Parts: sequence; C-alpha cells; structure tokens
Amino acid sequence: MRATFPHLLHLDIALGILYPTLGIEIVPPPPITQKTIEIGVKLAPQNACFPLKVTLGNFIEAIEQGADTIFMVGGVGPCRFGYYGQIQRLIIEDLGYKVRFVLLDHPRYGVRPFFEALKTMAGGRLSLPKIVQAVRLSWSVLRFTEELEGKRRALRCQVEDPKSLDRVIDGALEALRRVKSLEELEILKEQTAEKLSSLPRNGRTDFLRVGIVGEVYIAQETRVNFNVERLLGDLGVYVHNSVSTVEYILHTLRPFTRSKEKLEAWKLAQPYLKRFVGGEGIDSVGSAIRYAQEGFDGVVHLYPFTCMPEIVAKGILQAVSRDFDLPILHLAIDEHSGEAGLVTRVEAFVDVLERRKWEKKRRLEHDGALSRR
Amino acid sequence: MRVGIPRGLLFYRFFALWKTFLEELGVEVVVSPPSNKAIIQHGLVYGVEEICFPVKVFLGHAYALLGKVDVLFIPRMVSFYKGEYNCPKILGLPDLVRNLFWLEKDAVIDDEVNMRDRGIRGWWEGFLNLGRRFTENERKIARALRRAEEAHRLYRRKLGEGYFPENLIDGRPPLPPKEKKVVLLGHPYLLSDSYINMNIVRKIYDLGYSVITSDMVPEERIRKALRTLPKASFWTISNEIVGTAFAFLEKEDPSVRGFVHLVSFECGPDSLVGEVVERYVKRKKRSLPYLRLEIDEHTGEAGLVTRLEAFVDMMEWRNAHHASYVPTPPAP
Repeated sequence: MRATFPHLLHLDIALGILYPTLGIEIVPPPPITQKTIEIGVKLAPQNACFPLKVTLGNFIEAIEQGADTIFMVGGVGPCRFGYYGQIQRLIIEDLGYKVRFVLLDHPRYGVRPFFEALKTMAGGRLSLPKIVQAVRLSWSVLRFTEELEGKRRALRCQVEDPKSLDRVIDGALEALRRVKSLEELEILKEQTAEKLSSLPRNGRTDFLRVGIVGEVYIAQETRVNFNVERLLGDLGVYVHNSVSTVEYILHTLRPFTRSKEKLEAWKLAQPYLKRFVGGEGIDSVGSAIRYAQEGFDGVVHLYPFTCMPEIVAKGILQAVSRDFDLPILHLAIDEHSGEAGLVTRVEAFVDVLERRKWEKKRRLEHDGALSRR
Repeated sequence: MRVGIPRGLLFYRFFALWKTFLEELGVEVVVSPPSNKAIIQHGLVYGVEEICFPVKVFLGHAYALLGKVDVLFIPRMVSFYKGEYNCPKILGLPDLVRNLFWLEKDAVIDDEVNMRDRGIRGWWEGFLNLGRRFTENERKIARALRRAEEAHRLYRRKLGEGYFPENLIDGRPPLPPKEKKVVLLGHPYLLSDSYINMNIVRKIYDLGYSVITSDMVPEERIRKALRTLPKASFWTISNEIVGTAFAFLEKEDPSVRGFVHLVSFECGPDSLVGEVVERYVKRKKRSLPYLRLEIDEHTGEAGLVTRLEAFVDMMEWRNAHHASYVPTPPAP
C-alpha cells in the first residue's frame, strides 16, 4: 500500500511522521502548484468549491507518482466538504485509475465501514500503544507547525529582515520532518525559540493589527490564497489568524473536545448568527467580533468562491462591520483569482486602515477622548 | 397581528402548512405578491452579491413585506428529514434577513425546526416554540399543528397528482397532460416560481412535453432509488433530486424522454449532486439525455429557449436511434 492524502498547509509534515511509524508507506502529493490547480479545475464540477478542486489535483498528482491508495475523510454536512470524497471517488473511478479510496466517514453512515476505514488508516493491525504514541507525536508536531506559523505572522512586522525570519521558520519546519520522538521535538522547540528571540528587531510598536477569519482551507493554505499573510506582514501589519487545523480537528471530535476560544467565538456570534451553519461560518462571525473587541484595526475574510457557510457569514459580517466600526475585507478565492488584483485590494485596505488609525489618533489629541464616530 | 410570509425558498413546500398553522392560531397572514421585476431588484440590492439567486429572490420578497406587517415568519427549517440537513443558507436565513435589513431582534419569527437527530420530536417542539409566539395555550397550538399537517398532506397529495404550487396558491389553471414527458429536476423554489425560471414548465410544454417533478414521484420510490448511492448527500431536497433522477435511470417508462436539471448558479448542493446525477446518467449505456440549465439574475430568455429547443431535437433524435452512450474523458 502506497497511500496518499490531500494537502492542508503543514498537514503533510504531521502525517509524514504518523504513517511511517504505523508502517504505512506514503506518497505525499507534490506541493500545490499552478499545475495542481489546473488538473483539479479540469476534472472537478465547474461550480464546486475551490478546495475540492485543489485536493482532487493533489490526488491525481500523487497517483501519477505511484500512489495506489487515497486517504480521505468525510463529514455530515451541511457544508459541502463532507461530500468531497464521494465526488472525488466518482471522478477518479470514471477516469479509470485503479486506486483504493479509503474514506473515513462519520459512524452515522455505518459503524462497520467506519471501523474498517479506521483500521486501514491505522496500518491494518490495531496495536493500541503504538498508535497512541504515533498519534501523540504527530499531533504535537502539527501543533508546533501552527505555533511556528503564528510566530511568523506576529513577528514579520517587528523584525528587521523578514527574510531571516522565513529562514528560521522554514528551517524549523524542515527539521520537523526528521523528528523521531517528543524529546527531540522539545529540543527543536527550544532551539527555534532561541533563534527567533535573537533576530534583530526594527523597534516598531505602532503597527496595524489585522485578524484573519474564514474557511479552514483557504484561510490557511498559503499556496492558494496568494500568501495574504506575508503580503500583510510585508506592509508592516501584525497578523493574527483565527483559523487553525488543530482547532478544526478538535471541533470535528466534539463534543469531547472544544477549545475555549471556539466556545467564546460561538457565544460572541450569538446576537448575529444564532446557530451553527456548517463549516466555519459561525467562527468567522464570532472571531471577527472578538478582534473588534480586542481593538484590532481590521479583519480579512478569506473563503472559497461560492462557499455556502462563509457566504452566510459574509452577509452577517456586514452587520458586524457596521455595528463595531470594523473594516472587513472579503476575499473570495478560486481558480480565476488573480494575484495582481488581490495585492491591489490588500494594499488599498491597509491604506484605509492606516488612514483611519491616523484620524483616530488626531481626534484623540484634539478632543482628548476617543469618540466612536 | 399581521404576519408576513415571504414567497421564496421553502415557502413552496410548506405553504399550506405554515398558512393553516398561523391562521388556526388567529393570526392574519400576508404572503408577498408573486415575483416581479421590482421585487427581484430589491433582493439584488440588499443581498450579498455572491449568494445564490433564490436567496436574493427571497430577500426581495422579505423586503416587499417590510412596513406592511408586524413580524416576518421565517422559521429556521434546519431539517425536515431525519439525519439530513437543509442548505447552510436556509439555516442562516433568518439571521441574514435580520442583519441585512437592520431589523429589530423580534421582528423575525425564527424558531428552529430540527428533525435531524430527534425526528418527529424536533418537529413538534419547533412548532410548539413557533406557536408560543402567539398563544400560551399549548393545546391550541397542538390542534393548530394537527390541522396544518392535515392541510399539508392534502397539498402534497395535490402536488403528487400533477398540480404545481402556483396552481394551488394563486389558482392558475393546470396544464392538461401530454403523452411525452420530461423529468424536470431542481429545487422547488426554482421550479415553482415561473417568473424567475422564465416559465420553463410552459416552455417545455409548448415544445410538446409535460414535466414530471420530484413532487410527483412517491417518496418511497425516491428513497429506494437513492440507495444506489454508497452515501446519499446530507441535503434533503438535493437527495430528492438525485432520487427522482435515479428512479427514471432505467428506461422503464417509455413516455419519459429526458432529464432537464434546472440549477441556480452558485447553488452549493447542486454543484455536487448535479455531478453525481450526470455521471450516473452517463455510466448507463442506454440512458436518457440530460440537460443542465443554469439560471441566475443575468440569464436571458432567448438563450434558455435556444438550449431547450436544441435539447428537444436531441431527445427526438436519440429516441429514434437509441444511441446514447457518451464515454467519459480520458485521464490527463
């Protein structure tokens, strides 16, 4: 069995540790490129959301590299993600590829298929201690990749040379691929923290602060969202991303696990959106409100074009923006998105935020108090 | 108290139920007028630009009622089939209306009806909460719901006999059936609003075919046909569309000549289940022709007519030649 799986930012690092430990040979899909996107767009339904197309491209490219098994997860809706696997399986079947599609779906759709898929994904024989150990390590690795990305977002506007920051973080990500145990991971964490703290700072403290909300794939996968985070960072903006794979997985395993931030965001969203509408719709609303309360200067809303939950969120974010006086930039991404247009919009957005900040400061000096409007 | 029901989305399915329920509770019901240009225009102005056309139409209807009624009746129909959902936009609909039109918190009746996990209990509790907005008397609510369900059954039976919602709601005369038939797939809010679908039922009729919709196929037959799939989708209406298509996949009924699938651009569920239907139709060696028509606010009538006419020509030709296997494209 040579298994493959879809890309989601640094998920391949975590799975690259998990699967060899379980004794499964993996063929990670090649990094997402224009070609990946073209393959996905050509084969997928025209109006399907963008992540489906990109992950389909991943599968095809991995099959071309010799993968014979695909690992995919399902879902229970109402967002379209839970049905990706079914559509992708149909497409791959019709193309005539002889591959095994292992779809881990909710036990709601049959307890036996669920356990069979789980068993395949765990390497056939279920030896619990071994699995627990492997899962623990790869989970910690996944968390660390997110920490690293968080550092990159936060520090980009504060260090003298963003390139050296990228070098440290990318170096750590590369080193992560070779981590064998939790002890090694701890050492790597310490080393990276040291390196990061020794980077020369530019001494700025009055940077703009922008939060990112949106759909889990587009808001994280820098290879398809034209790296909005880096773009903002290079414009001197402190960026925080409310979306994370770790949170996503925790949420999927609910009701056993739910992080505090998530619960808070859901509560904050209540006056605007009363219930879960699938995907990250309610998180986007709640996180935007939290950013407003924490005094962020603006929010960037990233989602795939035609994403159902995020479009509901978009309608409601307009009200949030109005009520909290919080500028929100909505960026819908799909295969037709052009980098130049996106860069222009982000730059214009940052200009607006700077202007607003300056106006606020001036008014503060003039009136002696911060008036809301 | 005057309660307004916007004529859009699930209205076409639950018209009789909602109206009877509210009237039994002693409420004056106001339904927005049939779609027209001005209503659609308001929907386009207030809607989020990327939201699907039917939601924009719904927003237009909600706008048409503002100021004329005390409260809007937009129950949050999370699920009306066990284990399934409605589309996220329907789940968030009351919130969208409230926030886009700057309405007060209690200007929208938005209690949740959710049969997903709890089945009929969720249904009953949902309507109990809805009824509590008007009366304290639970027995009165229960009686109203019972009568409403009666009306709903009657309405559904009429639809099953070949009437369209517009025949029943506005009293338009039904079209006499023709011998040749086309299966018209699509969400009821697209098929039933003849203004936004450019009167497609009449157009197909004038080309010589009557239509069969999901409403005219018995539910057991739809659900049985749906079992062809390893996993049905989690959207009830989309499942009905797939089930209806699958029920006619085998050429059993010689009067049925083809599938026309009406989709609104940016309809999330249909972008996936449409693909499922199309692939299964194409996998059959001797299947019926399939046409997908996408409509939105920019659709021109001439283009729609041209495509329908071409499709009718093809149905005639295929029916004469019995050649209908279209192989799928090779791998890249």
